[in-house]
Amino acid sequence: MKFKSILTLIILLTLMFTLYTTFNYVFYPRPMMLPGTALAQGNGTSDEQLLARAINGEARGESYEGQVAVGAVILNRTRDSKFPNTIAGVIYQPGAFTAVSDGQINVPIDTNSTVVKAARDALNGWDPTNGCLYYWNPATATSKWIWSRQIITKIGKHNFGI
Amino acid sequence: MGIREKLLDFKRRLSDRKMYSIVIVIIGAVAFWGLYQYKHAANLRQELDNQYNRAFFDMVGYVNNVETLLMKSMITSTSERTAATLQEAWRQSNLAQENLGMMPVPQHILANTSKFLSQVGDFSYTLNNQSLYGKQLSEQEYQQIEQLHGYALSLQESLGELQNNLSGGRIKWGDLANKGAGIFSKTSSELPEQQFTDIDKTFQEYPTLIYDGPFSDHITTAEPMGLTGDMLNSEQAKQSVVNFFGADVIREINDRGKNDNGAIKTYSYRVLFKDKPDEEDALIDVTQKGGHVCWVLQNRPVPESILTIDQVKAAGLEFLKKHGYENMVDTYYIKEDNTATINYAYKQGDVTVYPDLIKVKITLDNGEVLGIEAKGYVFSHREREIPEAKISVDNARTLITPRMEIISTGLAIIPTNYKTELFCYEFKGKLNDREFLVYINTETGQEERILIILDTPGGILTM
Repeated sequence: MKFKSILTLIILLTLMFTLYTTFNYVFYPRPMMLPGTALAQGNGTSDEQLLARAINGEARGESYEGQVAVGAVILNRTRDSKFPNTIAGVIYQPGAFTAVSDGQINVPIDTNSTVVKAARDALNGWDPTNGCLYYWNPATATSKWIWSRQIITKIGKHNFGI
Repeated sequence: MGIREKLLDFKRRLSDRKMYSIVIVIIGAVAFWGLYQYKHAANLRQELDNQYNRAFFDMVGYVNNVETLLMKSMITSTSERTAATLQEAWRQSNLAQENLGMMPVPQHILANTSKFLSQVGDFSYTLNNQSLYGKQLSEQEYQQIEQLHGYALSLQESLGELQNNLSGGRIKWGDLANKGAGIFSKTSSELPEQQFTDIDKTFQEYPTLIYDGPFSDHITTAEPMGLTGDMLNSEQAKQSVVNFFGADVIREINDRGKNDNGAIKTYSYRVLFKDKPDEEDALIDVTQKGGHVCWVLQNRPVPESILTIDQVKAAGLEFLKKHGYENMVDTYYIKEDNTATINYAYKQGDVTVYPDLIKVKITLDNGEVLGIEAKGYVFSHREREIPEAKISVDNARTLITPRMEIISTGLAIIPTNYKTELFCYEFKGKLNDREFLVYINTETGQEERILIILDTPGGILTM
């Protein structure tokens, strides 16, 4: 009798485990080249596309200015001696952006989205952060260190600092 | 049937012999699948570990080379040899810095090490350029190299220690990924993070390094030269915002605070417009000194292109004139999404002053100005005392390759990437159907810069 209850328990546990892993597998964001997505159009430089995808992963829900600001922070980093000096180097620096760590950067860009425009404005030199190197969402930031940064401005949900 | 009965029923069914074997098979299958997943994850982790190791060992190698090359550059006696050695030091430190950026430790832990490698590369590159023109290193430059060499040496030592720990299996990169995973987290002293922190400590007393390169420490402290007028408070500066957009279209101006970071100190505002929804707002920064507009950022969908590029160029010029920017000329532009971003440079007499740059973003449907980026202008605009050219145009012409057919000649002040300016002849020429701009220094006759003009339907750009 006791053996069977343990067996039932094991079955239930494995079932839960299987469900959990399948769920993770199915919902892990992957690039999809849908026709009409900005990625698939293939125009613009590779830097512009990479920057647009990073902005999309990090600040999809933000205002236009908030999106340009995130792009500007990435570009400011490439010009700072403490960071890698290419756009790809900055974006893919281990642990630098949560959207890269969790694969959000690979989410396809919505055709109506303004992230490509925002990436272009950032590349053309617009910087609403006035030279900031960091940003974080005060509601979700897990790093204690980030709070040691001086806050320069706030745009949307993000604090921007140096 | 109640839950209790259902459970009892389930139990009864389990005791069935056939059911029993099915359950065994299921458990077996799940166990197999689990093992497969585990193996797969282990393989991936190993792959990642290998990448990290490669980046690390590469970096150690590059740092060793930088140390040797800096040492050698102090000994070489001919400027050609010095140039060659420093050029290699520049390349090796760039590679070291690149690999440093791949280490799986938070950026701030290695910030000073990264800065050191950037500066060594940048400094070597600057000295390399000097040496190429036959200039010997000065006493001060020797001292700077010696100082940098000392730091390279201690970096090399601490990296060597870390390398031993890695080879001895005392550190695994995977530990970093598992960090913070609740019960599996380790004490910090075992983590590579701690060891890297110790390395970065080497640079705590690292001195400021001043030279003619973009990563030099004096660049960040440069003072803007284009700021005229008195210091204003936020209320007074708001007048510039009203003037910029026009009082008749503004619904509301919200104060977004002030920004004292960097060379140009500003007040920030958010502007809402009378006939536009809240999303089509504008952000604007105005300098605290003099109330100059620093940048404006606004967005709205632009459905169609009606105007030609010449029409919007003229509209932009008109707009700038109306706001007090006289003598501007358009240089390059780019068309995207039914808007054009046009670069305007200041023209003093017959000299185009490229550092005094204003970028204007104009819609191609009705010529509305959506954005301004005037940091270049605000930073460097002034009436310059332009010296007489020491080299004649004809002389300068002979310094350019005869293969290039010259289309036009002009005078220009061009910015360097370390915020100084050069007074040059600007030759526009053609070679193999590609157009070029060649800049010859009016004082030394040096070929300072060559730009390729990209004339595409999307705009005219240089690279």
